[in-house]
Amino acid sequence: MTRTISLMALLATTPALAEENRQLDPHEHGVGILNIAIDGTAVAMEFQAPGADIVGFEYAAESEADHAKIDAAVATLMDPLNLFALPDAAECTVTQASAELESEEHEEHTGETGHTEFHAEFTFTCVNSASLSEIAFPYFDTFENARKLEVQIATTTGAHAFEVERDAPLLDLRDLY
Amino acid sequence: MIFRLALASLAARALTVGMTILAIALSVALFLGVEKIRTGAKASFSDTISGTDLIVGARSGSVQLLLYSVFRIGNATNNVTWESYQDIAARPDVDWIVPISLGDSHRQFRVMGTTAAFFEHYKYRQGRSLEAAEGLVMDDLFDAVIGADVAATLSYNVGDPIVVAHGIASFTEHDDQPFRISGILEKTGTPVDRTVVVSLEAIEAIHVDWQSGRQASGQSTSVEAIRAMELTPNAITAALIGVESPLQTFALQRAINEYTQEPLLAILPGVALQDLWGIVGIAETALLAVSMMVIVTALIGMMATIFSSLSERRREMAILRAMGASPRLIVGLLVFEAVLMSAMGALLGLAFLYIGLIVAQPIIDSAFGLWLPIEAPTQREIWVILAVIGASAIVSLIPAIRAYKTSISDGMMVKT
Repeated sequence: MTRTISLMALLATTPALAEENRQLDPHEHGVGILNIAIDGTAVAMEFQAPGADIVGFEYAAESEADHAKIDAAVATLMDPLNLFALPDAAECTVTQASAELESEEHEEHTGETGHTEFHAEFTFTCVNSASLSEIAFPYFDTFENARKLEVQIATTTGAHAFEVERDAPLLDLRDLY
Repeated sequence: MIFRLALASLAARALTVGMTILAIALSVALFLGVEKIRTGAKASFSDTISGTDLIVGARSGSVQLLLYSVFRIGNATNNVTWESYQDIAARPDVDWIVPISLGDSHRQFRVMGTTAAFFEHYKYRQGRSLEAAEGLVMDDLFDAVIGADVAATLSYNVGDPIVVAHGIASFTEHDDQPFRISGILEKTGTPVDRTVVVSLEAIEAIHVDWQSGRQASGQSTSVEAIRAMELTPNAITAALIGVESPLQTFALQRAINEYTQEPLLAILPGVALQDLWGIVGIAETALLAVSMMVIVTALIGMMATIFSSLSERRREMAILRAMGASPRLIVGLLVFEAVLMSAMGALLGLAFLYIGLIVAQPIIDSAFGLWLPIEAPTQREIWVILAVIGASAIVSLIPAIRAYKTSISDGMMVKT
């Protein structure tokens, strides 16, 4: 029986091997993703947002102005505490920050413009991580095209999901503890 | 003065007032009871699984994966190959991983193949572990551990033989390899109560003689021969994962979701539970709306009794006016009476709720696995009570204004 199954598995996978693996992440304009992980004093964030939200365009940068816009956006993203404001009482400091613009390649259809996404990763050290009672989002003031952030928070007690909208840019975390 | 007057007036109409108070009390008790069950159900729902950071299965939807892996509702679209499972298990950020294999059943209960680590890592109700009420957690190949509901429904005891059927609700039973019940788990209020747990190898073992879903005739491997076999599964249904640190949760989730050799899905149980509650939670809103309407009905009933009392009390009002009471005082008296009635009703309702909770708590816990905590009223509940009292004041204003007008037009004499 073992043999039958593995043979079938082989047959089933052969066509997939002939072609390449194709998969694309979902991409929704106006909606960014922010994942926050908290473990003791260490806090890590991953941020992802469509190029349209951050710089207003998703084509490959052509003009000087486009390049300047992207550089400015990356520089802004490198300062996460001005986008995702953690309470002062938590005494958080950025230990690492990286941000870049990634474009999804559409190699088979050259000429068709793909989507671009900004990706950023931050790590913080929060002396009083117990005081992480809320997160404010000046992010929405900085980037006018952003409408919503889908926030997921993982702690030692489990994971929770929230949606932060432009109208109410504040996340209450008190229920997590 | 007005206080004594109101009390005496209510006492004089004890029967109607008592009925009104009872109606308000029952409606308040119903509302608060629904509120308790609602929050209790939500809490016990989100407490179904805790301590697990990720659940991995075939790529489908997060709610679907949660439903079949945790709630044992529905089926997997695909299995996860043993190779992929081992790939994931070998990752440095995986602290522990528990495989789950579903697909067989015993009577109406699902059989789940897993490892002994399941009992160590599966947590519910904020970190509570599974405990054996009787017997031991399995260690032999043909040992089965059953949930509390399985034991109660089928009246099984430790040591009883148990036959596992192939597939769900199928009539072909694997009667050549009888399992033995080695332990019965304590009631948890989770789907584990309705599960028969066997080892992963046992799931393989019962399928040794089964080729393409049909038992080969005249071929039956003896129990001893099966014991001697190497029973590594080809595939599992899903796996529960604990990460070394929450900081790695998202990276691991992404790595699994982007695993190119096999389409896999990793979900955060807490987030998937929230998604699922978003779907089933509509019923809770409906329930709340209905019980709110019951309170409104009780208040309207109170308004009706005040209205009908007005004509009886015209003489009384006239006497009060003759004694020097202003029409405003009459309004105040009626509103105050209403507030007193609803306050008494609300307090009585609260008393009903606590009596009901004390009586029903153990019954609900054992019947539905729903734990309703008995605790001081929450801020929300106090607001509800205050809102009921406030609403009664507003509602009673309507008959009170009528009384105000008639007491002016009637003057000090009732002309009938």
